[in-house]
Amino acid sequence: MRVLAPWLFAVVAIAIVAVVLVPLFRLAPTRSAGPTGLAGQTAAVVALRDDRGAPVALDRYRGKVVLMNLWASWCPPCRAELPDLQRLWAEDAGRGLVVVGVDQGESAQRARSFASSLGVRFPIWIDADQAYGRAYAALGLPTTVIVDRRGIVANGFDGALTYVQMRAAVAPLLSRR
Amino acid sequence: MNAFAFAAAALAAAVLVEAFVPDRSAYHAGWYNVALAALLVFLALRAREVTRGAGGVYRTGILTIAFGAGVLGFAGIANGLLAPDPRTLAGVPGQQVALADLGGTIAFPALAGAETPVLLRPGRAPLPVEAQRYVGSAILRTVRRTVVRVEGYDANGAHLTITQPTGSAFLSPVLLMRTTQRIAGLELPFDSFALPAAHRIVNVVLFTAAQVAAMRGIAGPPEPALLFAVDDETDQPLPHSIRFAHSGEIVSDGGVRLRAQVLDYPAIEVIAAPSLPALAAGCALMLVGMAMLLRRNTKTPSRS
Repeated sequence: MRVLAPWLFAVVAIAIVAVVLVPLFRLAPTRSAGPTGLAGQTAAVVALRDDRGAPVALDRYRGKVVLMNLWASWCPPCRAELPDLQRLWAEDAGRGLVVVGVDQGESAQRARSFASSLGVRFPIWIDADQAYGRAYAALGLPTTVIVDRRGIVANGFDGALTYVQMRAAVAPLLSRR
Repeated sequence: MNAFAFAAAALAAAVLVEAFVPDRSAYHAGWYNVALAALLVFLALRAREVTRGAGGVYRTGILTIAFGAGVLGFAGIANGLLAPDPRTLAGVPGQQVALADLGGTIAFPALAGAETPVLLRPGRAPLPVEAQRYVGSAILRTVRRTVVRVEGYDANGAHLTITQPTGSAFLSPVLLMRTTQRIAGLELPFDSFALPAAHRIVNVVLFTAAQVAAMRGIAGPPEPALLFAVDDETDQPLPHSIRFAHSGEIVSDGGVRLRAQVLDYPAIEVIAAPSLPALAAGCALMLVGMAMLLRRNTKTPSRS
């Protein structure tokens, strides 16, 4: 009596070889390091307080496009970028854009006075534990993450953006309902 | 038949021990894998011998056992010769660290909370790694490591951003203390961080409670302590900028105020093991083969 037909034996043997060997040669995930690799993931929600001490969280903006900018007052590129963020927010807030500046590791007083000195009016959150810096895999400051209306990360950027780049990043999301 | 049964059992035991008692260098040694291969060849020859002229359930049972043992042996040899060395995956709270072996990432928990790292894989449910998990061809084991959570303040008491330009996470106030520095004959865990707003780089050396207790002239309870050495932003040491502090104590050093807490935090040990699906398939085939032989043996007397 033949136990297994040769072709069936070959199929079973190949399947077993594959099961055993494939994990040993598995390639690293293709997700790139840093905030650019976040696209498509659900945006992290960390409970924080704003610069006035009120509790805030990202999920309260579900249904809007959120541009989160991680910054600190000692960071020169952050200083250069904040006025453009203010301009973007002023122009597109009515179309469903929310800009949030998330200060990394500084006191509320320092963050508030720094933002005021640059004429920033959009919400400033205080992330004393720098949790968003880790959740968004920041490689440096500034780091910008754009979250769509469903709470999914659409884009992540390492380094300062120009006004044109910011607008190009949010425009397609704002036009989607 | 006895030699066949012995070889099959020995092969199964030699491979299963890799799964149940992982992380032994012997499994990766040449002699161990040559022995597995020799058992495999012997088993195949014996299977051929004992089934010569036989048929029916007996032949099928023997070949099924041999095939199952072959699957186990192949999985064991693949693990022994091709699997990566054991390693420890450390991450800071909130960080996700890629685990290429399993095609996923390990998400490290917040400092306060459940404190269980979670394996995240595309298209699969998150898998908490509590004590030990056998996943695919790896065993994930949670181990505790000592980490240091640091805080920095300026002279006015304002909180400062902590950065780790050379650490595993740029914006983390938790130091993983992965390197060591030799001081006074002791290999001591060492790490560093920057306070960009104050233009300072702070080097941190960790002492265990026992090492602190052995030191002369150190006041306070025998608990872990830290040595801070503050440099300017060009890595030049500042004068009188070396301070010793107990865990949780605030010290002024180099124009800034520093506080560090020594904490236990999980890391993941990744130990290669024979492929779990292959082990399951091999064991199942052997059991099916044995069941066939037993069934035949119990039926034979009634027929005679």
